[in-house]
Amino acid sequence: MSDIGKKKNLLALVVSPTPTVLKYVVLLAILLYVFLPLAWLLLTAVDTNPGAYLKLPDGLTFGYIWGIITSKPIKSGSGQATHPIYMTNWIVNSLVLASVSMVVVVICASLASYGLSRLQMRGKGVLMTILLLAGFMPATAKILPLFRLCRQLGILNNLPGIGVVVASGSMGMMIWIMKGFFDNIPRDLEEQAWVYGYSRIRALFKVVLPAAGPGLAVIAFLSFMRAWGAFTLPLVLIRKESLFPISIGISSVLFADPGELGLSVDYGSIAALCILYAVPSVVIFYFFRKHLMSIRLTKIEVR
Amino acid sequence: MLGGENRVLLFCLLPALVLVIIFQFIPSVQTIWYSLTNVALLGKKALKWDFLGVGNYVRLVSDRYFWKSFSVTMRYVAVSLVFRFAIGLISALFISSKMKGRTVIALFLLLPMAIPGVMHAFVWISMIEPRAGTINRIFRWMGLPPQSWTYGRITESLIMINTWAGYVLPMLIMASALASIPKEYHEAAEIYGASAWMKYWKVIFPIIRMPLMFCMIIIVKEDMDDFTYAYMYTGEAPRADYKSELLSLYAYHKAFNYYELGYGCAVGVIIALFILVLTLAQVKAGRLAK
Repeated sequence: MSDIGKKKNLLALVVSPTPTVLKYVVLLAILLYVFLPLAWLLLTAVDTNPGAYLKLPDGLTFGYIWGIITSKPIKSGSGQATHPIYMTNWIVNSLVLASVSMVVVVICASLASYGLSRLQMRGKGVLMTILLLAGFMPATAKILPLFRLCRQLGILNNLPGIGVVVASGSMGMMIWIMKGFFDNIPRDLEEQAWVYGYSRIRALFKVVLPAAGPGLAVIAFLSFMRAWGAFTLPLVLIRKESLFPISIGISSVLFADPGELGLSVDYGSIAALCILYAVPSVVIFYFFRKHLMSIRLTKIEVR
Repeated sequence: MLGGENRVLLFCLLPALVLVIIFQFIPSVQTIWYSLTNVALLGKKALKWDFLGVGNYVRLVSDRYFWKSFSVTMRYVAVSLVFRFAIGLISALFISSKMKGRTVIALFLLLPMAIPGVMHAFVWISMIEPRAGTINRIFRWMGLPPQSWTYGRITESLIMINTWAGYVLPMLIMASALASIPKEYHEAAEIYGASAWMKYWKVIFPIIRMPLMFCMIIIVKEDMDDFTYAYMYTGEAPRADYKSELLSLYAYHKAFNYYELGYGCAVGVIIALFILVLTLAQVKAGRLAK
């Protein structure tokens, strides 16, 4: 096992802890911390005899993953009752929710942060702080007023509507991140476009936004991920099982009969479900990873 | 001319402001209003409730369980802040160094963020499982007594899960900040013969002071109203020892389990006040450190 290898490494390192060696020990520790839980997830999904602890699989099987894809009901804790799986529905619902949320964030946050970046007037700092503070009431506390509000607006059980609500929750942070990108685009660029007779809006769309492309990618990615993983809001605002996004779907399986930790839960199926849930976000992540390194926040003004 | 230009720019702000006001600001104000009443989730008091003034807050002061979950939350936030910040910073230094294989390492380090929040609690079952869980096996191997991570030490487990999922965003922000520092600063520090430690302490960190502060603000804000992991390991009613009862979970239980919506909202307002105070304190400290 990896533990033993680590032991030998550690022993050798403890004897002569030079800075370089120390660096690698720290790196190894962080990587283990990150990877050990995930290793269990990957192994459990293909183990013929899955359990709640890390081990090499007794035998390989793809039955769990196939079972989830074909929406076979999961055996719950007691091993008798079954919980239905609506894999296609869950994924489609989550995609709708996350895409709407992403589009709303990209449009609103990029416009607003452009405005804030170029605006020169008093009270700008106050405006920025208000945007950052607006989400400060904890979600659990404002969930009931929000529930009533959504019922009045008729967007309960309405995936695009809830996507907008989810988008509003991360708007402040996205504006702050996006503003960092706009601040780094020289004004000359737009001014040149104006000289060529572009209007303010046209210059924004034709010149500034393309230059801020990486920033748009970052907030698109972050907002998609947030909505894809959103839990509390959909939990309260979606009351119809056919509209559950996958996050609520998974928890409905886990909560159907959670049992004691380490006992009788169908770990293989849930691990397979989790892996399928994570695949889209990991894929998107892979394509976005370069842009993520380009977040710039050098010019934050907090008042 | 300038006025017209400003008008266009203000118009750009409108959509975002409208959304934030409708879906964030108004519900927050309503929460404050509910916290001054004894409105209930269900039953008679859901329709006919009384205005209590600060009655809920007076009750909070003498509520033993509130203080219990308050101290749990403070520990959770403080320890999470230290670890999320430290691991985020160390990882950022790694992936922005010139080390071999840093792109692969970066991909690995980014993984927890690629995985949706609901899964974190499930993925960590194998780590904190008391009998054969990975952490207890490492503990035994190192000669330490195994701990009951799912019961007595649940707070520590929640902190570990939260750190695991939460160091990535600080890492990204700090790595980008480090990458934005011009090469000349590094070169200048080397010419003047600064040690690596001095270089970071005197040159690099002051330059990226603002992103560092932004990280701290985000971390504290996120952790103060953390809910998902604690909820996944607690369920619909609080545990007997309240060790997994973060304040937001306490508010949720009060509102949705005991139906005392007004009281739950009062707890929520307290959390919001705390976030506000801590944020302002951080901003102040950041300015003093200039």
